[in-house]
Formats: sequence, structure tokens, C-alpha cells
Amino acid sequence: MITSRRTFLKTTALGGASLIIGFNGNRLFAANRPNEFKPNGWVRIDADGTVTLTIGKSEMGQGVRTALAMMLGDELGAEWSRIKLVQASPGPAPFDDLGTGGSGSMQEGWMMRPAAAAAREMLITAAAAQWKVAPNECKAEGGAVLHPASKRRLEFGKLVGEASKLPLPKNAPLKSPGDFKLIGQRTPKIDGRDIVSGAARYGIDAKISGMLYASVERPPWPGAKAEKMDEDKAHAVRGVKSIVQTESGVAVLAENTWAALKGRAALAVQWSAAPVDAFDSEAHAKNLEKAAREPGNRTRKEEAPAGTPPVARTIEAIYSYPFYAHAPLEVMNCIAHVEGDRCKMIVPTQAPNRVQKQVADLLKTTPDKVEVEVTLIGGGFGRRLAADYALEAAEISRAAKAPVQVLWSRPDDMKHGHFQAASAHYLAAGLDEKGAIVSWKHTKAGSFHNLSAIEPDEVRNEAWWGGWSWGVYDVPYAFPAIETAYVPVDLPVKHGPWRSVFAPSSVFARESFIDELAHERGADPIAFRLQLLQGPDTFKVGRETFDRRPLRRVLEVVREKSDWGKKVGERHGRGVACNIYDGRTHIAYVVDVYVNEDGHTKVERVVAAVDCGLVINPIGVEQQIEGGIIWGISSALGGQITFKNGSAQQSTYSDFAVARMKDAPAIEVHIVGNENARQPFGMGEPPVPPIVPAIVNAIFAATGKRIRKLPILPNDLA
Amino acid sequence: MSKIALNINGTRKDVDVDDDMPLVWILRDVLAMTGTKFGCGVGVCGSCTVLENGKAVRSCQIPASEAKGRSFTTIEGLSRDASHPCQRAWLEEDVAQCGFCQPGMILTACSLLRDQPNPSDEAIDAVMSESVCRCGTYPRMRKAIKRAAALMQEKKS
Repeated sequence: MITSRRTFLKTTALGGASLIIGFNGNRLFAANRPNEFKPNGWVRIDADGTVTLTIGKSEMGQGVRTALAMMLGDELGAEWSRIKLVQASPGPAPFDDLGTGGSGSMQEGWMMRPAAAAAREMLITAAAAQWKVAPNECKAEGGAVLHPASKRRLEFGKLVGEASKLPLPKNAPLKSPGDFKLIGQRTPKIDGRDIVSGAARYGIDAKISGMLYASVERPPWPGAKAEKMDEDKAHAVRGVKSIVQTESGVAVLAENTWAALKGRAALAVQWSAAPVDAFDSEAHAKNLEKAAREPGNRTRKEEAPAGTPPVARTIEAIYSYPFYAHAPLEVMNCIAHVEGDRCKMIVPTQAPNRVQKQVADLLKTTPDKVEVEVTLIGGGFGRRLAADYALEAAEISRAAKAPVQVLWSRPDDMKHGHFQAASAHYLAAGLDEKGAIVSWKHTKAGSFHNLSAIEPDEVRNEAWWGGWSWGVYDVPYAFPAIETAYVPVDLPVKHGPWRSVFAPSSVFARESFIDELAHERGADPIAFRLQLLQGPDTFKVGRETFDRRPLRRVLEVVREKSDWGKKVGERHGRGVACNIYDGRTHIAYVVDVYVNEDGHTKVERVVAAVDCGLVINPIGVEQQIEGGIIWGISSALGGQITFKNGSAQQSTYSDFAVARMKDAPAIEVHIVGNENARQPFGMGEPPVPPIVPAIVNAIFAATGKRIRKLPILPNDLA
Repeated sequence: MSKIALNINGTRKDVDVDDDMPLVWILRDVLAMTGTKFGCGVGVCGSCTVLENGKAVRSCQIPASEAKGRSFTTIEGLSRDASHPCQRAWLEEDVAQCGFCQPGMILTACSLLRDQPNPSDEAIDAVMSESVCRCGTYPRMRKAIKRAAALMQEKKS
């Protein structure tokens, strides 16, 4: 799918002691942008042989630091143990477009390889010149250039002086899969040792000199006013230094976190009462269900070919999906130090440039005056694409005239998230006289993200509307007639990307409804899907092309590996679901559940098959599948966020339950080889969408009860 | 407020803190030992777990007045070189994703293995389900605990 590999290279020699190459990986979606020089990484080789890779991707558990180091190190011919990683900070240039989301890092990283290849060719050229041999007789391996014929070897470090004086090679050849040394190898996490010894530093662990600790009492509903508070009592708490009011609430600053928390409690802020029409999630769910039946904005339409039998009857269903919190273990936090028109930020963020830009706007300064240091992230899942927690830290630092660390409490984090928005789905299948599906309709009613404003000049065509409803317009099945649509519904609470963005609700509805149709037909749910996946190997929606072949393959693999078709015990059931994520990653699951007499569901086993293109690190792929499955179990069987009087009702992991060890099934991951794979695809998000419907379908097989509303409650099944 | 002495990883620490300051903040803010994580503050997630005489305790639930005079081991004190069987097993099974909850998880596993050197799946579920990992590393943690148990038995024999 990537047609051009526009990589811009630039060399810099620092006193002849290092070879440095800057590079740019264009996003797949940016192909129509003008040619800008936006490098988002550097490859640097020092005289001591250290290879330093500066990467612009945030590590939040998805393994991106390890995978990028593998890709670049392999292309360079580096020795794995000599690779050092440096986290890029955003800058006006060269790091002006950093961001980690949408499972795009593998593709972007893949496009950075020419930089490593150029460095390798320069090192080889330098060595060949010294040996007076032809460069093509030499190779780079294990951090050195080798001349096999004469058994000579020169470490990279000894070559950087000469190499950095050479012109940058054009189109340095890239390694082919047969030559990979690191790519495809099971490679332990580069930060693993730091993690198990407590040395890994997350945002919450950062400190700067003279820093105060802040805790913010936040308005319970948007627009609430602090009507009364006891500042004297808060000041009386030992260690409390100051109290400042900002957009986000009333901040108590203190010498340590505990004093800030106590001061905040002592303030006893009384907020104005919520208006009678304040946001209520139950009423919102009803609105969504109503909206889903509206015609909406079309995202795809295919008319039935002539000669298709007419619709004899229609089966329809409404699926309802709730709000969820991200609930990463590391609460939102940020250090900010505003001094005049300058600001230093230390922040666990997925969007360093958004933080920089928004803080610069807040301070009425330019982005170059805002220094942003990105830390390791204790769970991102899309929550840290928002800059709210960084902005408020800058605001508080400015008001208090001091460096501050703002640390959210767990209830702050749970109640003031950028939630996964609720949505409703209307599905309808038209069947002909014989019961074959001749038409498919799927309308999603949901809400635009409100992380940042939608540009008014955006063209609202089918593709634009489709962009809000992944998993709807890209239905992979070959129905004669297809009509999909999106209905936007206003949502006055903060919401935004969550793991897998828009796909989870859509795929839950679609794959569950397909299961309904299979049972209606008396068909085997895998055979039924494979039959619907017949027809052309590829199909197009707008400009996007989708490939059915890998989806058929992963379905066949889970059928073969899961004892599909073998009888299961009483109250046990087996279900299937599959999905193509963002046109790229193909996954199928077979799930075994047991539903007890009280209606409690235990997911006992999951067999997964995935085709994610070229595999960089098999450990990383397995981990993300396992993690995505557990994430899905949390959303199927755990908590939801509800709103009453404008406020989120949940406050911690006991009332927003997430999966725990006892809920974890046995998981089998089959990475389906794809010999045609030319590039890797991301794995952070794709494992999430199909797991919930596979569970729902297994529950139907076990109990005969069809779940159309999440989360699944024992009462639904008792 | 009072001056208290407590022992962290074998070293006496004197701190001057409020009586009600939880141990997690004494460790993190006062002693700058950040391996112990803050997660929920109410004892439901396990991120702040430390060991006392080998037994897992939640440092967010122990105020200074109670921590006084007691001895605790944090993740930083488990070994000098990540060589404790649980740390080794965690690395060998490639458990961590974001890693934030893992210090608490590793110390909880140490406590479990002290009480039950060869734990069943049920015992692992019972003890480890008191803690939260949002990345979903549970299947690997289960394997790592079994591997650590084997490593500990090897060491003994």
C-alpha cells in the first residue's frame, strides 16, 4: 500500500567523531502532503561504537522501542547490545510531528530504514577505501564492516570519522528478508531489566528541583462553579504552600503529594448544583438508539447487481455500547515549570507536539520556547493523545510561579477521562426467499472526538464520515447490496481515542449480528463467514483496498487449531469473530466460555490467528494479542462508565472493574505466515475489536441468549 | 507529625512526616525511591506493594504512625542485579508490557511463593487477582510465577 518511500536524509559530522543521519518516515496517510522535511529520528554512530537511535515514538507497553531498534539496528548491521535509545523531544524542526497512536509505528518505522541503510553504505565505503577493495566485497554485521575474502574487520566506531565525510548515498539498497539478523527474532524488551528492578522512570517518577506537588479539585460536571471552600483550613495543613484556581479546578500546591491531597480534602469545595438537563448516560443511550435508525450520512453504498433476488424478509437488531475509561495504572500526571514565556514540561504523552503547541498557545509564546521531555508511559491506550493534563500543569505552574508536578488521584483519572464514547448500531439484513442475504445495512450513531476542534473546511464526503466508523463501512463480507452510514450525536463530556479507536463498538455489533444470521440460517458460524468471504479476493471502498485472503486464512487457522466443531460441555460454548483492522491487520478468534448458573461468564480459552504482515518481534505480537484479549474481556465482562447529573459515577478499579488474573483465559497465538508480506503493521490496537463479539457469540452458543448491550451482566444470563 | 525511623531495604531511614502520611508517599516523595508505584491510593490495585518480612503489604494503606520501626523491602531492594528468581523469571517469560504495575506484581509473587513454594493455578489466581495490570500480562505472569518457583527449588537443592 505504500507506494513511495520518501525519506529525506541529512548527514552531520560532529568533529568527525560521529556519523549522524536524520530521517523521516512519512505516514501512510500523508502521501498527498507537500514534500516537507520532517525527520522524526536520528541514527548516530559514535567513535566508541555506540549506536544511538533517537526515536519519536512513545513507549507505553506496545514494545515500540524494542521493535524500532530491531528494524534500524538490523538494517545498519549493528550489534544489538551496543544500541542505545534516546527519546526525541518535539521541536520546531526536526521533530515537529511526533505522535504515537493508530498502531502506525511499525509502518512508519519501516520507512525509516533507508537512513540506517545509508549509514551502513557509508561505513562500508569508508572501510573499503581503507582496505583498497571494492565496497561490494564488504558487508556490515555485528557492529563492524567485514571483508570476508581477506577476513578483515573494522568496528563501526573506527570508521565514523571517514564515513561522515562521504556524500550521502542515494538509494542505498535495503536488506531483503533473507538477510535479516534481528528482524523476526524473539527479542526481549529493551527496557525489561529496568522494569523488573524498579529503575524504569515513568512520568510520575520524574522530579525537578524546587518542585511543588499539586492536586486539583475538579468540577464534577463541565461548567460547575466553586461556590464555597475553606482556604484557611487547607492552608492550615502542614506542607501546603498555595492554592490556585484555574480552568481545570482548584489546585492545592504542597511540599509533597500527601499534603496536597490533605489540603484538597480540607478545602471542602462546594460546587454549584448541576442543571436538571445535565448529561445522563442512560438518556444518551436512548438518543443513540433512536439516532441509529435515522438515514444518517452515507459511508458506503453498493447496489445489488441485476438479477439479485428481491428481499423477502428483513432481520434487524440494535446493538448498544457504553462508555469506558482507559484506566491506565499510571494516573495522568505532568511536570511543568513556566518561567516568563518559556516552559519546561516532563510528561508521559503520546502526543508531544500537541502538548508543545497547546502549551505555547496557552502561554502566548512560540513552540520553540516549550521544552517537552517524554517519559516512559504507564499505559496509554489513547488517553495520552489528549493534552488536557499537560495544559493544566502549565497553567498551575504559571499561576503559582513555581515548578509543579500535577498528579491526578485515581478518582480524578476515572471521572475526568477522555472516555471511549457510547454508541448504538442499527443492523439489518435482507434475506431472499431461500434465506440468502441479499442486502446489508449498518448505521452507527456515535460522537466525534473532542480532543481538538474539527476544522470547518474539512470536506464531509463518504470517506470522512467513514473515518468515524471503522468496522462499519469496511465490512469485509461480500453482500450483493451494502449500505452503511454514520449519525453524529452531540456529546458534552470529554471523549477521544481508546484502544482501537472507533472499531470496538462497530465490530462488536457487526460480528455479533453475523452470528445471529448464521444461527438464523442454521449454519456453522465459521463456514458461514468463509462463504460470505467468497467472491473477489480484494474489494475497494473509496480509495482503500481490502484483502479478503488473509481474513479467510486466519479463520481457517482458528478453525483447525481450536477443535471447532467438537462438542463442548453443558453451559459451555464456543464462538468466533474476525476483523480486518484499518485495512491492514487480519485477526480471527475462537473463544471458549463457561457460563455458570448465576450467569457469571468465564472465558476459558482463546485461540487467535493473526496476519500482521512482516513480523518484527514475535514476542511483541504475542504480547499485544494477549493484552488485547484481556482488554476485551474487561470491556465485555467488567465495568462501564455511567453519568448522572453530568458526572461520571465510577471512581476506581472496584466500581470500574477490569480483568484480573482469575479472568485471564489460556491463550494460544498463531502468527500466520505471509510470504508476500513486504512490511510490518502495528499490533497495539488490532487485537481488541474482534474479541468481544467472539465472547458474545460463545455465550450464545452456551446459553442461547443473545447479548446486544455491553457490558454483559450476570443478570442477562442467569 | 513526627520524626520516625524505619528500615528500607536494610538501611535505617529517618524521616519527619505527618503521622497519617502513607508509606507509599514516604518512599516516593520523601525518600525519592520511585520503584514503588502509586496506583489507586485505596488498596485495590496493588501497584504500591512492598514486602514486610517477605509478606506483601500495600504501602498506600500503612500510615507513618504504623510504619514506624518496621522493616520493608521495595523492588529496589529485591536484588542488586535483577537476579532474584522472580525477576529472572519475569525477564525469561517476557512478562512486562508498559511495566508500571510490575514491581508490585513481582513483590506479590515473591510473597505468594514464600507461603506456597509450588502454587496451584487456583492459588495464583487467588493471590494475584488482588492486583491490576491494565496491559493484560496475566498469562505470562502465571508462567513466570511457575518458572520462579522452579528456579527457587533449583537453588535450594
